[in-house]
Amino acid sequence: MITVLFFGPVAERMETGRIEVEHVAGMRLADLRSTLAARHPEAFEIVSLAAVNGEHVRNMDVPLGDGSEVVFMSKFSGG
Amino acid sequence: MSEPVRLQFEDFSQDEEISALQAASTRMGGIATFLGCARDFSQGRSVHEIGFEAYERMALPELVKLRDEAITRFGLIDARIVHRLGTVRAGDRIVFIATGAEHRAPALEACRWLIDELKERVPIWKKEITPEGDSWVTPHP
Repeated sequence: MITVLFFGPVAERMETGRIEVEHVAGMRLADLRSTLAARHPEAFEIVSLAAVNGEHVRNMDVPLGDGSEVVFMSKFSGG
Repeated sequence: MSEPVRLQFEDFSQDEEISALQAASTRMGGIATFLGCARDFSQGRSVHEIGFEAYERMALPELVKLRDEAITRFGLIDARIVHRLGTVRAGDRIVFIATGAEHRAPALEACRWLIDELKERVPIWKKEITPEGDSWVTPHP
């Protein structure tokens, strides 16, 4: 399983802060994003950053291991 | 002594943070600080409270990394960063940065750099709570 977390405005649009997605062999971050964006376009229209296991990831081709924690994030607004 | 980089729900004391910074070395000749507060007005609306949420697993390490980078980049003697989470009221303290160096210039430059980088790199989101309703602050992607 892959745990997908959402925070702030993305969580509000997803109406949840966490979902579980079945892991598929060979799955890439881009695949997960495409699948979820198709189901939740209103949430993903503000997603501009992603993290895997607590690390900011720019390469969307990165493979996802089983048990990964993925976060799709909007631009930050702290401070 | 408290950790030099913290995310916390409770308020903080600027005096305690500056004292902790000064305790690092008597060679410190310049200390610069930045205090971010909750404004009661934003984009034409009154704001009563602001809520902050963070992806803490990434936010805290990123803040630690920022402090380390600032110390190296500006030759600081020490630096401290505290950011609050949860709900703060208008006028409350949100974020505090203190930088200490042998001279004023690197302390001032590092302080400005740290708050600018924090806003870009640390996964924290703010929600403005107004009489007309709540809304997340969402910079355009």
